[in-house]
Amino acid sequence: MQKNVLVVKDLKKYYYSRKGMVKAIDGVDLEVYSGEIFGFLGPNGAGKTTTLRIVTTLLTQDSGEAEVAGFDVKKEADEVRRHIGYVSQAGGSDPPATGRENLILQGRLYGMSTKDSRNRAEELIQLLDLTEFADRIVYTYSGGQRRRLDVALGLMNRPTILFLDEPTTGLDPQNRTNLWMQIRRLREEGTTILLTTHYMEEADALCDRVAIIDHGRIVALGTPDELKKRVAGDCIIIGIEDAEEKTSDLVATLRDADFIKEVQMDTSHIRLYVDDGALTISSVLKILEEEGVILKTITLTTPSLDDVFLHETGYSLRDLDAKGEYK
Amino acid sequence: MKTLRDTGVLFRRKMMETLRNPIYIIMSLLSPVLYLVLFSPLLSKLTSLPGLATGNVMNVFIPGLLVIVSFSNGLFVGYNMIDEVRNGVVERFRVTPTSRFAILAGRVLRDMVNTLIIVNFFTLIAIPFGFHVHPLGYILFQLILCMVLVTTSSFGNAIGLILKDEDRLSPVIQGINLPILLLSGMLLPMELAPRWLNNVAHLNPAYYAVEAGRVLVSGQILNFKVGEAFIFLPLLTILMVAWATSVFNRDIS
Repeated sequence: MQKNVLVVKDLKKYYYSRKGMVKAIDGVDLEVYSGEIFGFLGPNGAGKTTTLRIVTTLLTQDSGEAEVAGFDVKKEADEVRRHIGYVSQAGGSDPPATGRENLILQGRLYGMSTKDSRNRAEELIQLLDLTEFADRIVYTYSGGQRRRLDVALGLMNRPTILFLDEPTTGLDPQNRTNLWMQIRRLREEGTTILLTTHYMEEADALCDRVAIIDHGRIVALGTPDELKKRVAGDCIIIGIEDAEEKTSDLVATLRDADFIKEVQMDTSHIRLYVDDGALTISSVLKILEEEGVILKTITLTTPSLDDVFLHETGYSLRDLDAKGEYK
Repeated sequence: MKTLRDTGVLFRRKMMETLRNPIYIIMSLLSPVLYLVLFSPLLSKLTSLPGLATGNVMNVFIPGLLVIVSFSNGLFVGYNMIDEVRNGVVERFRVTPTSRFAILAGRVLRDMVNTLIIVNFFTLIAIPFGFHVHPLGYILFQLILCMVLVTTSSFGNAIGLILKDEDRLSPVIQGINLPILLLSGMLLPMELAPRWLNNVAHLNPAYYAVEAGRVLVSGQILNFKVGEAFIFLPLLTILMVAWATSVFNRDIS
């Protein structure tokens, strides 16, 4: 039986500033099943963190409902708190204390005895490979070591669901892959995980199901494969000379071609979505030749989650700046 | 019960931090010692002034200094609070079922212990300089100092949590610290002040603490000023703790 660990219905949260009203989230619906890794993909400012803060009882919604492990986040906040683990973007480790002290304190805050806290801390030190540095002051940790401690802190109370807010932001590629491995291992141990990210590779590699969120609304939800199928069979990416002058004419011509299902543009490339790339690529080349454009690059790929994102929102995650923010 | 237990757990955390870096306490002993060595000699010839006529200049000066030490020690904890907000520590605590009051109280208690250590160390070194302490009066004075500290530490923690940024905190803290210091009569007794200034000083909680401290250390326990302080300061303390707790209960956006 698939059990819903998290149910969110028509959640809304608006902020009022001098510039007027900002709809941080504007009617979010989602369900997270027991035992899965659920990814929340979108740029910064799309509403990921706001949603997370509401379901972790840090923030109250303006309207809508959210239940975690069967408890209402507004009315039964203390019960919800007992059943969740939360690792914020900032982390949460206390730098002047050792990793082990941090863990034991966390257990005590959940009402565990000192002895139980010690034992659970030791378990997690093993599970997340913290042994080497667990008794050092957190100030001395590297970014990756600190992240692993943050995750361990979120697991002290054996949560029904673990929330990870941008867990790999700021980590180098090696530490990122390392953390992915550990997150997968947690899932194998039966932990349900909801994570937010603005890296589509991360959502693709790690998540069983993904929700794409943009401007406070979920625009697509499903397994990464389902989402990619939504776009088309294959994707042809072309880069051309004189892009600025000729592109609009070219796009119009390409849109008219009946074998091309969809044409999307980002800053440097034109993306064509077709059923079968191998069969149609020669026809595409022919159109380019007729139009007299000079081809710089042409690539044939299967769609990525970024293509899904582009398809649903009209812009590419790759176009966002390095921090993943809207331009 | 749960609140007490949580407070204890969180107090221990902050106390460990202090014990690990006692250098901070040692540093904060420095400024009162500077006042004692570099400023108090200026007072020795002022005995003819009203308010200092009691004969013992140190018994006028030291209580004021102790009140200011307690006051500032509490007020400036906002910086540490901002650090912890930035590291996500506060958010992490607020996601656990821990009592919100305990998150505040654990911190305030640690600040209180730190301040009492500083105050008593300072009293000890002031005795050879001519500070005469009446034992019971001094104990009551420490109670007053605790109330001052709890008030300002609660305020400091809450304002740090609200402002979340050192650049915004500094002007607020400095803007409060200086007028309170000047209007407390800590450096020179308010009896010297013109009437309007004296009236304004009566709005300053630190003024009541300083005045009561002066009569208490000299052993006048049943003085009217002691009564004033023990009515006014507990009220203020309760109000400030209640407000700070409500800030810790608020949404984090």
